[in-house]
Amino acid sequence: MTLILFRATQSALIALLAVVIALMSASPMAAQSSIFSSDRPLPAQEAFALSVSEQPDGTRILSWEIAEGYYLYRDKLGAQSESGTPIPLQTPAGASMDDPTFGSVEIYSSSAQAVMGPVDGPVTVTWQGCQNGGICYPPVSETLAAVEGTSTAPVSDGVALAQDNGMIEGLHARGGTLMVLAGFLGFGLLLAFTPCVFPMFPILAGILTGQGRDLTVRRGAALSGVYVLAMASAFGLLGVAAAWSGQNLQIVLQSPAAVYGVAAIFVVLALSMFGLFEVQLPAAWTRRLSSAGASRGGTFGGAATLGFTSALIVGPCVTAPLAGALLYIAGTGDVTLGAGALFALGLGQGIPLMIAGTLGTQVLPRAGGWMDGVKRLFGLIFLGMAIWLIGRLMPGPVILALWATLLIGAGVFAGAMDLLPKEADMGRRGVKTLAVLSMLTGAIMAVGAALGGNDPLRPLAVLQNGIAGPTNEQIAFHTVTTPDALDAALAGEPDAPALVYVTADWCVTCRVIERDVWSDASVQAALADVNLIAVDVTDFGEDGQRMLDRLAAVGPPTMVFLDRNRVERSGTRIVGDTGPRAVQAAVEAVR
Amino acid sequence: MTYLNRRNMLLAGGVGGTAALLGMTLIPPARQLEAQELTVEDVLFDPDNPVLGNPQGSVTIVEFFDYQCPYCKANHPVLTEVVEEDGDVRLVLKDWPIFGAPSVRATQLALGAVDVGGYELALETLMATEGRLSDAAIEEALEEAGLDPTELDAAYRANRGKWDGLLSRNSFQATQLGLRGTPAFIIGASIYPGSMDREALREAIEASRT
Repeated sequence: MTLILFRATQSALIALLAVVIALMSASPMAAQSSIFSSDRPLPAQEAFALSVSEQPDGTRILSWEIAEGYYLYRDKLGAQSESGTPIPLQTPAGASMDDPTFGSVEIYSSSAQAVMGPVDGPVTVTWQGCQNGGICYPPVSETLAAVEGTSTAPVSDGVALAQDNGMIEGLHARGGTLMVLAGFLGFGLLLAFTPCVFPMFPILAGILTGQGRDLTVRRGAALSGVYVLAMASAFGLLGVAAAWSGQNLQIVLQSPAAVYGVAAIFVVLALSMFGLFEVQLPAAWTRRLSSAGASRGGTFGGAATLGFTSALIVGPCVTAPLAGALLYIAGTGDVTLGAGALFALGLGQGIPLMIAGTLGTQVLPRAGGWMDGVKRLFGLIFLGMAIWLIGRLMPGPVILALWATLLIGAGVFAGAMDLLPKEADMGRRGVKTLAVLSMLTGAIMAVGAALGGNDPLRPLAVLQNGIAGPTNEQIAFHTVTTPDALDAALAGEPDAPALVYVTADWCVTCRVIERDVWSDASVQAALADVNLIAVDVTDFGEDGQRMLDRLAAVGPPTMVFLDRNRVERSGTRIVGDTGPRAVQAAVEAVR
Repeated sequence: MTYLNRRNMLLAGGVGGTAALLGMTLIPPARQLEAQELTVEDVLFDPDNPVLGNPQGSVTIVEFFDYQCPYCKANHPVLTEVVEEDGDVRLVLKDWPIFGAPSVRATQLALGAVDVGGYELALETLMATEGRLSDAAIEEALEEAGLDPTELDAAYRANRGKWDGLLSRNSFQATQLGLRGTPAFIIGASIYPGSMDREALREAIEASRT
C-alpha cells in the first residue's frame, strides 16, 4: 500500500488525510476500460469543459467538450439571468439513454452545444452529467459576464431598447377589443385632470359663453358633446395618420403655420367675444368666423373645429396610452383597433369636459351686463391662449411684451384709468382694483421684457440672477437636436448610465416635469452621475423624426433610461406626466 | 509518500486485468481537530442518520447517494446483498440530493419515514423506482408500498430541524471529502468514488478489516 497526499481540504486536514490504495474491480463498464486514470472520476471541470463563442448579434453558443466515458443530460442544461429568470436554450436532440433502471433520458456524449439568445447582464449557465457507469456529478454552474452591447432587442446605433409588451396587447389578451376600448376610456378619464386637458376648459367655456342668451342646458350638453366628439375623432385620426405616415400627427402639426393659424383663430374669436370691435370683414368671412363659437348657425361646426384643433395643436400631449397605441399601430399595422383605442382615449379625456359643459350652463349668468363682462373675460382668455400658442415660436421677451400689452389693455378696458363716481358700489370698485392690478402687472412685465426677461410669472428674474442666468437650480441636460449629436452625447460618457429625455418647448407636460421633477433634490441626487441628454424636438423636422424613431418614442415627454452598456432596462421607460419617485426608481434600475 | 503509478498499483493489488478504483483513507485523530474539521466519527457515526444492515457491525459502509442518480439505484441491490451476506456491516445511506427538487422531496419523505418506522421500506421503494422522479411519482410509489406520503411529510416537518441539519452536514461532508458526485462510498476509512460491484465491495470490506 502506498500513500499519497489527498488534497480534499485546504487546511490542516490535508496533512491528516492520507490515502490508502484499495484495489477493487470496478463496475463491468469500468472493467472494460484498461486505463486506470479514467476510472477515478475526473473533476467536473475536466469532464465537461465549457467554451462560449459570441455572435455579432449577441447570441452565444455554449459548447461543452465531454471527456470520453462521460455524458451530459440534455434536460439539465440551463441558464438564468442575474435576477433568476430562466433563459431559454436551444439544444439539439440528444442520444436516448434507455436503460430500464434509468428510464428514458436524452444525453450528449463527446460534445454538446446550446444556443442562447441575446441577454441583458450576466448569465449563469448550469449543467449536470455523469461518468458512464460510475458517478453522477452535482450540477455545475458558471457565470458568464454580460456581452458587450448585448440587448434584448436588435442593437441600433449603439442603443438597445427594451421590447416591453404594449398596453393594447396586454388588454387585448385579457378581454378582447372591448377590454381595449374600456381600458383606454379609463386611461383617458385619468388623464382628464392633467395639464394637457386644462386649456380645453376655458375654450369650451368660451364657446358656451358665446351663446349668450340662447344657452340652455340641452344646448350646452350638445355643444360640449360635439366638442368632445371632435376631440376624440382627432385622437382617432392620430392613429390613422400614424399608420399612413408612421409619424405622430401632433408633433408634425407643431409647425409655425399651424400654430400661427390656430393663434389667429383665437384672436378672431376673442374679437367676436368683445363685440366692442366691429370686425369689418367680408360677409362670408364673418359668417365663417363667428360660426366658430359665437352665433347660432354653424355653431356646432365651430365647436367641432375647436375640439379638433384643441386635441392636435393646443394641447399636444404625449401620454403613455397614446404612445402605446401609436407604437402598437406602427408595430402591427392594425389601424382599426389602434385608432379605436385612441378614440376611446379622447372620449375619456372629454368626459369631465362634457359634465362641466352641461352643468356649467346653469352657473353662467343668464343675461344682462354681467354676461357681456364674462364674454369679454373669455375674449381676454382667448387672446392669452393665442399668445401662449405663439410663445412656442417667438422669443421670450417678445411674448412677455405681448403679455404686458394684454394685461395693460385688459386693465384699461376694465376701467383702470376711469374715474369712479363717489357713489360707485362694491362691485365696480372691485373690478377697478383688479383692473389696476392687471395694469401694474402688465407694466412690470413690460419692464421685464425690456430687460430681456422671458418668464411671465417671474418677469424680473433677470435682475435677480444677473444677465440671463438660469432662473433656478436645474439639472444640466446636454441638449441635442440632431441624431449625430445624440450619438456623440451617448458616447461622451461611456461608463455612466444615461437618461435620454425627449422634450420640446411646446410640450405642456414637459414644463410640469421641469418644475416638479428636475427641481426635486432627491432626483437631482439620483441623477448626479448619470449622462443626461435632452433631445429637443421643438423645431420638428427630419432630424427630430429620426431621433424619435431611434428611441422608438412617439414624442415628448419621453424618458429613456440606459444602463452602462447602452441597454434600456425593460419597464423603465417613462412617457407623459410623471413624478420624482418614478424617475428615481428608473434610475436605480439602470445603475 | 509516493504517487503510485498504474504498474505498482496493479502489482500491489494483484487483481490482474481488472481495473481498479482508488480508495483513500481518512486518518484523523478523532476529535482532536477544530470543530469545523471533519473526523471519521462524524462521517461514519452521525447520530441522526438511520442505520441499515447490522447496527452493531464492525465495518461501516457509508454511501452518499441521490434517489434519482441512476448508478446509485443500479448499484443498490448489489450493495444490499453484500451487506446481508456479510452480516457484520453497518450500512449508512447518506442523502446528498444533487438532482434537484424531486430528489430533495424523496429525501424528506424517506427521512420522515424514520419516525413512523418505515425508513427501510421507503428507501427501498424509492431506490427501486425507474429513472427520473417527480413529486407525483414519488408519492405514488410510496403509496403503492403502503406508506402515507402525508404522514411522512408531517413526520418530516415535525423534526425538520434535525433532518435539515443532517442534510446540510451530509452536503458539508461531501464537499470536505472532495466527493465528486454520487454514488460515493466510504468503507472503513477509505473513499471509493462511483459505482461498486459485488467484488469491489467485498474487497473494500476486507481491506477495512485488516
